[in-house]
Amino acid sequence: MTALVANAGQGRWWRSRTVRRFTSHHLALLGLAMITLLTLACVFGPYLLPYDSLYIDLRARFSPPLTGHHYLGTDPLGRDLAARLLMAGRISLAVAFFAMLLSTLIGTLVGVVAGYRGGWIGAALMRTVDGFLSFPSIFLLLALAVALKPSPAMVTVIIAVTSWMEVARIVEAEVRSLREREFVLAGRMLGLSGAHIMFREILPNAMGPIIVAATLTVAHAILLEAYISFLGYGIQPPLASWGNMLEGAQQYLASAPWLAIIPGAAITIAVTSFNFIGDGLRDALDVRDDRV
Amino acid sequence: MRGFLLNRLSQSLILLLIVSIIGFVVLNLLPGGPLAQFGLDPGMTQDDLDRLKEQLGLNRPLWMQYLDWIWRLLQGDWGHSFRDNAPVLSVIGRHLFATLLLMGTSTAIAIAIGTWIGIRGATHRYSLFDHLATVGAMVALSIPTFWFGLVGIYIFSLKLGWVPAGNMYTIGDGSVLNYLHHLILPSIVLSLVHVAIWSRYMRTSTLDAISQDFVKTARAKGLTERRVIMKHVVGNALLPMITLAGVQLPSILTGALVTETVFTWPGMGRLFLDSLGYSDYPVVMGLLMFSAILVILGNLIADIAVAIVDPRIRLG
Amino acid sequence: MTERSNTNPNYSRRDALRLMALGGAAGLIAPNLLGKPAFAQNPPASPTGRVIVGFSQEPTVFNPLMPHTECDDAVHFSVFDALVRMDPKGVLQPNLVAEVPSQKNGGISEDGLLWRIRLRDDVRWHDGQPFTAEDVKFTLELITNPKFRAWRTAGHSLVRDIKVVSPTELTWRMEEAFAPYLSFLAETFMVPKHILEKEADPNAAAFNQAPVGTGAFKWAQRIAGDHIELVANTDYAGAGPYLERLVFKYIPDMTVLYTQFKSGDIDLVDQAFITADNYAEASTLPDRVVMLERGASVESIYLNLEKPQFKDPAVRQALYAAIDRKAILEGLYYGVHNPTETFMPQNSYYYNPNLPAQEFNIERARQILDEAGWVPGSDGIRVKDGVRLSFANSTTSGNHLREQTQQFLQQTFAEIGVEMTISNLPAAVMWGDFWLKSQFESAISGVTNVIAGDPDVANRLHTKAIVAKGGKGSNTGQYSNPEVDALLDKGTRTFDREERRAIYLRVQEIVRQDLPFLPLFAYANVFGRKKGLEGFEANSNARVASWHAAGWHWKD
Repeated sequence: MTALVANAGQGRWWRSRTVRRFTSHHLALLGLAMITLLTLACVFGPYLLPYDSLYIDLRARFSPPLTGHHYLGTDPLGRDLAARLLMAGRISLAVAFFAMLLSTLIGTLVGVVAGYRGGWIGAALMRTVDGFLSFPSIFLLLALAVALKPSPAMVTVIIAVTSWMEVARIVEAEVRSLREREFVLAGRMLGLSGAHIMFREILPNAMGPIIVAATLTVAHAILLEAYISFLGYGIQPPLASWGNMLEGAQQYLASAPWLAIIPGAAITIAVTSFNFIGDGLRDALDVRDDRV
Repeated sequence: MRGFLLNRLSQSLILLLIVSIIGFVVLNLLPGGPLAQFGLDPGMTQDDLDRLKEQLGLNRPLWMQYLDWIWRLLQGDWGHSFRDNAPVLSVIGRHLFATLLLMGTSTAIAIAIGTWIGIRGATHRYSLFDHLATVGAMVALSIPTFWFGLVGIYIFSLKLGWVPAGNMYTIGDGSVLNYLHHLILPSIVLSLVHVAIWSRYMRTSTLDAISQDFVKTARAKGLTERRVIMKHVVGNALLPMITLAGVQLPSILTGALVTETVFTWPGMGRLFLDSLGYSDYPVVMGLLMFSAILVILGNLIADIAVAIVDPRIRLG
Repeated sequence: MTERSNTNPNYSRRDALRLMALGGAAGLIAPNLLGKPAFAQNPPASPTGRVIVGFSQEPTVFNPLMPHTECDDAVHFSVFDALVRMDPKGVLQPNLVAEVPSQKNGGISEDGLLWRIRLRDDVRWHDGQPFTAEDVKFTLELITNPKFRAWRTAGHSLVRDIKVVSPTELTWRMEEAFAPYLSFLAETFMVPKHILEKEADPNAAAFNQAPVGTGAFKWAQRIAGDHIELVANTDYAGAGPYLERLVFKYIPDMTVLYTQFKSGDIDLVDQAFITADNYAEASTLPDRVVMLERGASVESIYLNLEKPQFKDPAVRQALYAAIDRKAILEGLYYGVHNPTETFMPQNSYYYNPNLPAQEFNIERARQILDEAGWVPGSDGIRVKDGVRLSFANSTTSGNHLREQTQQFLQQTFAEIGVEMTISNLPAAVMWGDFWLKSQFESAISGVTNVIAGDPDVANRLHTKAIVAKGGKGSNTGQYSNPEVDALLDKGTRTFDREERRAIYLRVQEIVRQDLPFLPLFAYANVFGRKKGLEGFEANSNARVASWHAAGWHWKD
C-alpha cells in the first residue's frame, strides 16, 4: 500500500511513482485542468463581469445568450446568467468540498473504530452503516432538508450525513485487514494506546483508498446538492447554486432553454472532472477497483 | 442455508427498526405538519385545527406516536394517509405499478446495453471502443439525471416532437403502444447511469473470466473465439452481476424519484414528494419502510442467487 | 378566441383597453341563473359525450364533510348538493331547499335565531332512496360529532335543537345570530343518513372512497394518482346533466397541464388554471375559449404587526409606496392580475372601488421614513430607537413567481434603506404554526378572505381572531382596531344585504388606511376550455371552475 503521506517524506515528491502515474493518466490531468479553471473562474470571474449576480433588470429578462454583455443570457428577473453561474459555482463547489471533508471525517472515524475494535462495537457501527445505506439516500436527504432550514452550511451537513457510509465501509475493510499486520502487533507490544495505533499507525497506511473515496465524494456531493436544490429543498434564492438555477428552469424549457442547459452543463463538467481525477488517483495510488 | 437465512432475517429486522427510528425522528423534526395545508383556509378556526390534531393523535408525545405506529405495523396495519384517509398500503400499491414499469424497463435496457458494451470492451481491450466506453461511462455517471431528462425533453419532445413530454399514457388511450410511447424517454434517461455502471462491472467481470483456465482449455480445444466468449466467458462473467442487480436497487429508486418528477410520472417518487410536501407522515414512513424492505430483500435475493449458481460460495 | 366576462360594473379603463388590445370577440356576458346555460339554448335531451377536466392537484377527499382542499370541491359540487348554492353574482339560489330562507319569507326569525328550512320533495339519493329532512339533521349533527373528523365547524357549532317537522321541513335554533351561516350552507354538502348511520366509524366508512350523493353525477371509479370518473345521474332533480361522463384528471405539473390543454388531451382547465405566462399564447389557440376571470384571492405582503419594525404606520406606508406594482404585475405576472387596495374580492357586491390608489414613489417612501425619524445607519439600513429596519420575508419555497417577486422587492426596498431577507419554507412548515401562530416577520401569500361569497372577515381581522394572543381564528398579522372589531361584530348579526354592504365598505376604508397588510394584486384566473363546450360559467364565489358541471354540454 503506497500512501501519499509516505511518499511525501522521501524528498522530491513530484518524482515519486504516484505522481508519475497520475500525470500519465490523461483524463485525470484533463479533469484537474478543468477543475482548476472552473475554480479560478468562480473565484475571480465575477469581478471581471460587467453585471452583479443579484442585479435585477426586468427589461432585460429572458435575453438569450450573447445579447450585449450578457454572454450567457439572463434569467426570468433579468439577472446576468454568467455572473450567477460563477457565483453559484462558488456555493456549489464549497458545499461539495466541505461536505466531502465532513463525510470523510465521519466515515474514517467510524470505519477505523469499527475495523480496529471489531466485536459488538464494530457490528453495531457497521449495522448502522447498513441502515443508512438501506435508504435510497435521496429520501433521507429530502426528509432532512425539509426538517432543517436549508442554509448552505446546513445543506453541507445534510449531504455529509447521508454520504459518509461508503468511506466508512472502505476504511473498515482496510483497517480490518491491517489490524493483524506486524507493525500493528509491534505497536501493541510496545504498549501504545488504542487511539495511537488506530490513528497514528494504521490510518496513514489506509490513506490511499480514503483519498480516492474523498475525490469521488466531491463529485457525488455536487450531484446531491443539485438534486435537492432542483427539487426546491436545497439552497434558497436569491443565493444561486447550480442546482437551484435549474429549479424552475423546466417551465421555461420551450421559451428559454439556456436556463436549463447552461447550469446543467456546468454541473456535468465539474462532476466529470472529479470523477476523472478520482480514477487517476486510483491508478496512481494502487487502490483496488471496487467502485466504478 | 437455514442458519444463514435466520441470521440474515434477524439482521434485516434490526436494520428495519433502525431505519424506522431514523425516519420517524427526522420527519417529526419538522415544525408545521399535516394540518398546515388548512392554514390558509378562511373557514378553519384554531379550534378546528386543535380538534383535528387531537383526533389524529398528533398531540401525543413523539415516543408514544412511534410505539403506536410500530405496534400497528407489526399487526399489519400501515396506518391511513392524512391526505385522503386511504390505507397506506393501498396508496403505495396504486403507485407501485408505474414505478415498477419504469424501473423494470430501464433496468432491462441497462442490462442489455451494459452487458454488450462490457463484453465488447473486455474482448477488445484498449481499443478505441473500449476507451470511448470508459470515458462515456464516467461522463454518464456525472450527468445529473434530471438535467439529462430536461435536455431530452427539450430535444426529442419540444424540438422534434417524437415523444411526449410527460405522463404515463394519454387519457382515453390505454393501449400498450401508447404506454410504450410514453415510456421511451424516461426509461432511457433513468437507464443512463445504470448502463454506465453495468458496463464497467461487466467489463471487469469478463476480463476475470477470460483469464480463467477453462477458457484457455476451450480455446485450446479449437473453438472459435466467438463461441468461447458466448458459451464460457459470458455465463461466468454474468454470475457476479447478480449481486450488482441487488445492490443497485436503492440508486434505481433514487433515480426514479427524480425522473418521475421531471416526466410527471405517477409513481412512488412523485407520491413521496407530494406526501412530504403535505407532511403526510404515514405515507412517507410507509414509503421509507417499503423501499428499505425492497433494498434489503434485493440484497438477500442476490446473495442467495449467487450461492445457488456458484457452489464455491458457502453461505453462513 | 377570447372573451371576458366581467361581473363587476366598475371595470377599469385598463381592462377595457386590454379587451380591445387582445382583439378577441370580447363581450360582457351577463351571468346566468342556475340551470340555464349561458349561450346554449338547446342542450341535448339525454346525457351524451364526455368532458375531461385537468387539475394540478389530485382530488383525494370524497366525503365532503371531512377536511379537504379546493380541488376536492370539484367532486363534491358534482356528486353532492347543498341546501343552497351561491351563483356567480353572489346571490344565493335554492339547491335542495324549496326556497332560500330569509327574514322576509319567515325562514329566519327577526332576531336571526330561529331557522325554518323547507326542502324539495322530489330529490333522491343515487341509490334510489328519497332525500329527506332526516338527512339534513344527520349531516349537521355529524359535523359537530366530536368523534368525526369534520372540516370547518364555524357556524355549525352554533346550531341547537334540530327538529324534523316533516320529511320536507325542519327547524333549528342558533346560539347567537350569525348571518354568514346562510352562505356557509352553500359549502355544506348533504350526506345520506341511511348509509352513514350504519357505520361504526364515520371516519373510515367505505362511503368516503365511493361517495353517494344527490348530485348531477354519480361516482364511477378512481384511478389513484391519475383520474376520477363520474357518470350522469339521469334521475337528477335539477336541470341537467347533459354529459354522460365527467373525468377529473390529475396532472401534477402546471406546464404539462397547459400543454395537455393545448394538445386537446383535456377539455377544460380547472385548479390551478392556466399559468399567467401562457395566457397570451393560450388566447391565440384555435378552437379554444380562454377567459380571464376575476378570482376571490388577493396576493398581499402580510406584516406581523407585533414586530417592532412594523408597529410604526409610517413604515407600512413607506413600504407600500416602495412597491413597484406595475413592474411586478406586468413584468412578472404578464399583466394578467389586477391591482387592488382591499381584501374583498373585486367581483363581490361588497367590494369598495373608491379606496385611494397606491402610487409607486421611491422619493415619497424615503420622505415618509425620514419624517418619521428612521435614519440610515452606517450600513445604509435605517434605524429608529434601536430598531433596525430589517426583516425576513417568507413564503412557500418552490413558488417561482413569488420567489421572483421577493427578489424584486428586495432590490427596491434596499433603495429606501430597508433590508429584506428571504427565508422560504416548504408549504407544510410555512402554513403551520409558523403562519397561524404569527411566528413570521413578513410573508407573501394569496389568501381568499371570504367564505362562499359572504363578506364576513372577522376570522381574518378581528382582535379575537389572533391566535398568538389566545384568540381563535387566523388574524395572523395581529391586526387590532376596536372600530373594525365593532363593525365586524355588527356585520355578523346583520342579515340585510344593503346594511351589510355599508358596514363592509367602511371596514375596507379603515383597513386601507391602517395598512395591516400590503395588497399586491387581486388574482385573475385564466380559464380555458374547448370551443364546443357550452354551459360553462365562471364563479368567483366557488373555489373551482367545475362548480356547476350539471349545466355543461357539447354543442351538437
